[in-house]
Amino acid sequence: MTLLLDIVTTAAILFIVSAGLLAIFGVLKIVNFAHGAWLTVGAYCAVVAGGLGLNPWLALPLAFAAGAVLGGVTERLIVRPLYARPLDAILATWGLGIVIGQLVTLWFGRDVQFTESLLPGTIHVLGTTYSLYRIFALGAAVVIGLGFAFLLEGTRLGLSARAIIMNEALARALGLDTARIRLVTFMIGTGLTALAGVLLTPLTSVDPTMGVAWLIGSFMLVMVAGSSFGALAVACLLFGGAQVLVSTFISPILGGITVAVLCALVLRISSKGFARV
Amino acid sequence: MSDTVTAPIPSAAGRRRPLILAILAGVALALVLLGPLFLDRFSMNVLTRSMIYAILAITVDLLWGFTGILTFGQAAFFGIGAYASAMLLTHIGSSPALLGLALVLAIVVPVLLGVAVGWLSFYYGSTPIYATVISLVFPIVVTQLVYSGGTLTGSSSGLVGYFGLPFGLEGFFRLSGICLVAVAVAALVFVRSDAGRLLTAIRDNETRCAYLGLNTQRIKIALTATLAGVAGLAGFLYANASGVVAPENTGFVFGTELVVWTALGGRGTVLGPVLGTIGIDYLSANLSGELPFLWQLIVGALFVVMIIFLPNGLAALVTRFTRRGRSEVVAGGGPTLVPEKPLHHMKTASGPLLSIERLEKSYGSQKVLEDITLDVAPGELVSLVGPNGAGKTTMMRCLTDGKERSGGTVRIAGQDIAGMIPNQIVALGVGRKFQVASVFESMTVADCLRMSRAALEAPSFVTASDALGLPPAAIEILRLTGLDKLLATEVSLLSHGQKQSLELAMVVSLEPRLILLDEPTAGLTKTERTTIGAILKKLTSELGFAAILVEHDLDFVCDISSRIVVLHQGRLVLDGSVQEVVNSDIVKTIYSGGEHV
Amino acid sequence: MKMPTLFATVASVMLAGSAYAAGDGPIRIGVPVGLSGANSVVAPSVVQSAELAVEEINAAGGVLGRPLELVIADDASGAAGAQKAFDSLVFQKEVDVLISMETSAARNAGLPIVSRGQVPYIYTSFYEGRSCNPFLYVNAWVPEQQVPPIVDYMKGQGASKYFLIGSDYAFGRGMLEFARSYVESTGGEVVGEEYLPMDGTDWTAIISKLKASGAEALITSTAGGAPNVTLTKQLRGAGVDLPYANLAVDEGTAKSMGADAAGILISASYVTGIDSAENAAFLKAMEAKFGADLRTPNDLSVPQYEAVYLYKAAVEKAGTTDAKPVLDALDEVSFTGPRGTIQMSKQHHAPLTMYLGQVQPDGSVTVVESFKDVDPGEQCPKL
Repeated sequence: MTLLLDIVTTAAILFIVSAGLLAIFGVLKIVNFAHGAWLTVGAYCAVVAGGLGLNPWLALPLAFAAGAVLGGVTERLIVRPLYARPLDAILATWGLGIVIGQLVTLWFGRDVQFTESLLPGTIHVLGTTYSLYRIFALGAAVVIGLGFAFLLEGTRLGLSARAIIMNEALARALGLDTARIRLVTFMIGTGLTALAGVLLTPLTSVDPTMGVAWLIGSFMLVMVAGSSFGALAVACLLFGGAQVLVSTFISPILGGITVAVLCALVLRISSKGFARV
Repeated sequence: MSDTVTAPIPSAAGRRRPLILAILAGVALALVLLGPLFLDRFSMNVLTRSMIYAILAITVDLLWGFTGILTFGQAAFFGIGAYASAMLLTHIGSSPALLGLALVLAIVVPVLLGVAVGWLSFYYGSTPIYATVISLVFPIVVTQLVYSGGTLTGSSSGLVGYFGLPFGLEGFFRLSGICLVAVAVAALVFVRSDAGRLLTAIRDNETRCAYLGLNTQRIKIALTATLAGVAGLAGFLYANASGVVAPENTGFVFGTELVVWTALGGRGTVLGPVLGTIGIDYLSANLSGELPFLWQLIVGALFVVMIIFLPNGLAALVTRFTRRGRSEVVAGGGPTLVPEKPLHHMKTASGPLLSIERLEKSYGSQKVLEDITLDVAPGELVSLVGPNGAGKTTMMRCLTDGKERSGGTVRIAGQDIAGMIPNQIVALGVGRKFQVASVFESMTVADCLRMSRAALEAPSFVTASDALGLPPAAIEILRLTGLDKLLATEVSLLSHGQKQSLELAMVVSLEPRLILLDEPTAGLTKTERTTIGAILKKLTSELGFAAILVEHDLDFVCDISSRIVVLHQGRLVLDGSVQEVVNSDIVKTIYSGGEHV
Repeated sequence: MKMPTLFATVASVMLAGSAYAAGDGPIRIGVPVGLSGANSVVAPSVVQSAELAVEEINAAGGVLGRPLELVIADDASGAAGAQKAFDSLVFQKEVDVLISMETSAARNAGLPIVSRGQVPYIYTSFYEGRSCNPFLYVNAWVPEQQVPPIVDYMKGQGASKYFLIGSDYAFGRGMLEFARSYVESTGGEVVGEEYLPMDGTDWTAIISKLKASGAEALITSTAGGAPNVTLTKQLRGAGVDLPYANLAVDEGTAKSMGADAAGILISASYVTGIDSAENAAFLKAMEAKFGADLRTPNDLSVPQYEAVYLYKAAVEKAGTTDAKPVLDALDEVSFTGPRGTIQMSKQHHAPLTMYLGQVQPDGSVTVVESFKDVDPGEQCPKL
């Protein structure tokens, strides 16, 4: 039973962490390699909120706003000139990640920061005691997933974004302000990533390089998922599940590289990954 | 989705170049040999390491700057070379024979893994970003293996205390310097050789390469494996010179550093990355002690700015000045055109050259092509006409890519092309000209033409040939269109029509038996059109080529065709002589806008 | 300096040093330390304690009439950075001795340079043991000194089934390897031993195994800082409340974990709560010198302070800063500092008094028990 819970909650956490990256890659076809830096920024918003004596939950909207604003500036200054050069965009955002990491270090220092736990304690589910926060994370992942489904299916922005995914030239010809939609998408993606950073604070240490460890995993998952949130959920469940199974029954060390290796193999077999699912 | 950044490409011309290179190499050699007399121990130690890193930067530059493969994986090959040496020397012992074995292993193991990584990264239809993904995963896996290697790899502590080559500080400085100069010279000679231009061609337009009969996957795998070996050699040097190997030598963070140095120095220039690496690594050794975080911040910020505003690095500032002449149309110059005897023996075998049976192509439930049956014999010039969306271009694609169609068979010279990829089909004697001129924008006219011969005659890895052997028909196209006077001009400066003619000349240079042309006259002037028409007629009626032409201009079609095929809504509705088609009611109905036949 | 460069000039200005290396100028102490990278959390405290030692010694007239001077270099907590730092210190700054707290990878990368440059090197970080080099002395603990107090204490509390969790690297594996053999030699049982990569963030599967194993006590040995905090957070989140000994936590890190750290057992040669005149004087002097900027002294920074004094004693005994006589003197001299009397007399390692501490809810550490002069065991029989 614990195994099942481990699998779904691991998948949920992977989904939360990757969702922002997917939003950007799906619409903009740009890989934001500063993704890890946004997770860090989000987590430090929790530190700042704690420092100001705010309720720890208030860090969530704070991080979303900070992430989105920072994302807006980034899109305008760094990403926009590079839409035609996707590989260069990877490099430029990686460089930006270094810069953000060093700025956080200069500002807050290298030390591990203390953050208040959002939901301590355990809960009895399915006949076992389990971390309450991980169960909450499962709920958060579902909310984020449904939120995106609504955003894409039910709003004008989502419609425009889908139009751009399918055929950008046509979308522009139809009078859509593609530049603005890109900007908004990027901001939503980075805002969401910063929010995910706050959600990570009860699970990991908060320090200037905390985000990097999550970058490769989420990058690989997004490559497999393409532009579909459904595919991302499937990928997280499948590969997160594989990670837990490998860690449990073979070796946690191999478990650590399971996601990356399996995603690479899946892409080798089908270059579109799960996007066609 | 290849990046549009283009590195400055030296022109093939320039007889003085080998001399300049020799002088440059001589000066560099003198510097590294005499360096120990002037440098203090600290600088010597740091520079030894920087020069080894510079060798790696050259490999990154060849892959990324020249070929367009963004890689973070060179660090892993380097680390594997270093670990192979250090593990052998630690666990088995040190003797001249074992040192020799270490050197061999440090090169062979990375080469074999390079083949594996290359095979994983490059396959028909793989995307550039996928290769980058693999280049990220590979060092992560390698580092993990090193960490969990226990005493075998020394885990996080690395390996130390083995006995390597018995050279002192000066010895390693000179050895690393000599190796760097050798690798740099080899790289410079190679990228300027005829074979080296292949890398740029792949970066510029991989599809075109494939349709010139080049197996780009195999070229990229070979390049990856070779450069993995070079990185392994650098790893061997490092393991000996530093006396220690550590997990971070294999990691992807080091891989990104190599890319940063290459980018700052100037990708696609070989020398830029060398100077960039030595400069930044030496500076950081001097500065990072005092301001560790600020230093990284500055390098990071500089990197972002460079990628956006100066994608070709600092070297671009220099070359922008010295290469001003290259942004102009160069009249004359370039290699001498030499007519060659045809390499292909035009088989006058009986039976059709191209035979299509019940060809079908569908996307989901929608059928784009249905039940197409058609034979084309040598000497025929078949025009494919029909309104937009009739499936003409789709049909061309099905003829040149064995994985495209959904049903039916296509045989070329009797061979079923099922499952074959473009370069294999080209090898059967098919040439395809695309609707939008598909050429190599950053290369010269002469180099483009040379590429179309690369699959027929293996190009030299060392020299840039002064002569350009082409079939007489191709030379005639160049003469008629005036391109023979522009051989040294960069393609991006040509007019639309000139590019179309160049592509046609490139396709003809392949000596195909069957040429597929997708709207070769679109956007051309009347004169250009007539010229191309005359050439096509000559190719088919006099030289025995077969041609299939997709064309909208019915007057032009009637002028030159020996036969006309009409496609409508994915079906073949008429196949006959010019007279038959022109007088057909069906055609009139289709072209007058009637929806149904 | 043979090649005066802009950077050398900048460096010497920043360090307020003179350009003359030998002779009657200051005695230079090189401190390669991880100002950036994994060790950058603890590095400032190490630098501070070295600064205090140098200030105190200089105020008392220096060594052999010469003042001491610190030359700090960043080793980026890794091998490549360490090579640059050691090169710079040994060959460019021409220091007389190296005294430093570093990662094992950095130490190993530096050792060939130390051998080449023939400079004494006092290593002040606890580590997995068995690093042997004629130029190297160590005044911090090794597994043989740290693990037994913890296991003995847990055994006394009735634990016989142990679960071991570590980061997959030399220190993590080295510590737990010793812990396993020690547990087994004292009649206990190891019911699980699991590792995660150093940058691993998800301990879920391991924690589930732990919970299913029936273990009565938990011993962890992760990389310092982030992985340690991550593991502890996830352990607490999963409701693990076994007796929990952490071989890699220091007082500072414990503070940043807040309530999650409460109850953790640590074993160290230094905790701030040591009740001795030397420690009180040391803490007071640190407070006075650094005030608000003070980094809490810890098990990695205090050995650095003492090593400077040990070097001073060795130079005075040898009557020179020449490497050979100083190296010969280093295992004969002793110094009584915050951790007690230290002498690196056992195969270049030092017997140490070890303290078993427990983290309190407010992050402070109280000493539960102390073990006098624990022997480092056979570290370098050939030296």
